[in-house]
Amino acid sequence: MAEVKLDCMYETCPIPLLKAHKKLQTMKVGDILIMETNHTCSITNVIEWAKKQGYDADYIEIREGEWEIYIEKVK
Amino acid sequence: MKVYDTILKKPWPYWVGGILLGVLNVILLLETKTSWGISTGFLGWGVYILEKFGFDPSKWHYFVMNRNTFEIGETFVKNHYTILILAMILGSLISTLLASEFNWKRIKNKKQLFFGLLGGILMGYGARLSHGCNIGAYFSAIPSFSLHGWIFGIFMFVGAWIGCKILLKFIL
Repeated sequence: MAEVKLDCMYETCPIPLLKAHKKLQTMKVGDILIMETNHTCSITNVIEWAKKQGYDADYIEIREGEWEIYIEKVK
Repeated sequence: MKVYDTILKKPWPYWVGGILLGVLNVILLLETKTSWGISTGFLGWGVYILEKFGFDPSKWHYFVMNRNTFEIGETFVKNHYTILILAMILGSLISTLLASEFNWKRIKNKKQLFFGLLGGILMGYGARLSHGCNIGAYFSAIPSFSLHGWIFGIFMFVGAWIGCKILLKFIL
């Protein structure tokens, strides 16, 4: 079970989602993708998309205006 | 407050935005006899700046061929497009502030700056070749029963598809 960090700071939609999509394809089942972002609209669309793909997804605010999105590749 | 959050903080569904844009464009057409368009306004601003640097763009082939780009009595800066652009920026600012989402974005790195500028130039150049952007030449053209809006639409989707492929394969 590996953790993969993905830097999406200062990037706007749809770049973070496309980056996550590309990264997840190279990851194994059980791995966790951690995306750093400061773009609130990315949180909404990445999590909505990840859940539609059947992944587990959640986020926390790590600093003011900065978030980490966690996506677990469950299948 | 729940109502405040739903209306001002959460994104609206696409159909709500679509209906509002349609209604507002009809009101704009009724009131000003012109439909919504903005890229021609940006063209005017760019040309105005070039004039300040001593160029004479009004003699350029494009403006000789397209004499009606701006209406009679309008200059490159003082025209109805400028008002529409300023109103759009002001409206966006107000909605961003109401949602408490205002935030200065830094440039991430040189790659982002380069592709941002390149994309902007390609979009601007394309908008001039097609006499408008996705607002003027697509969104306002189709309800005016103009065929060029549909042609613009088809190629816009083809372009977006190719753009996504290039983005995923080479840029990200």
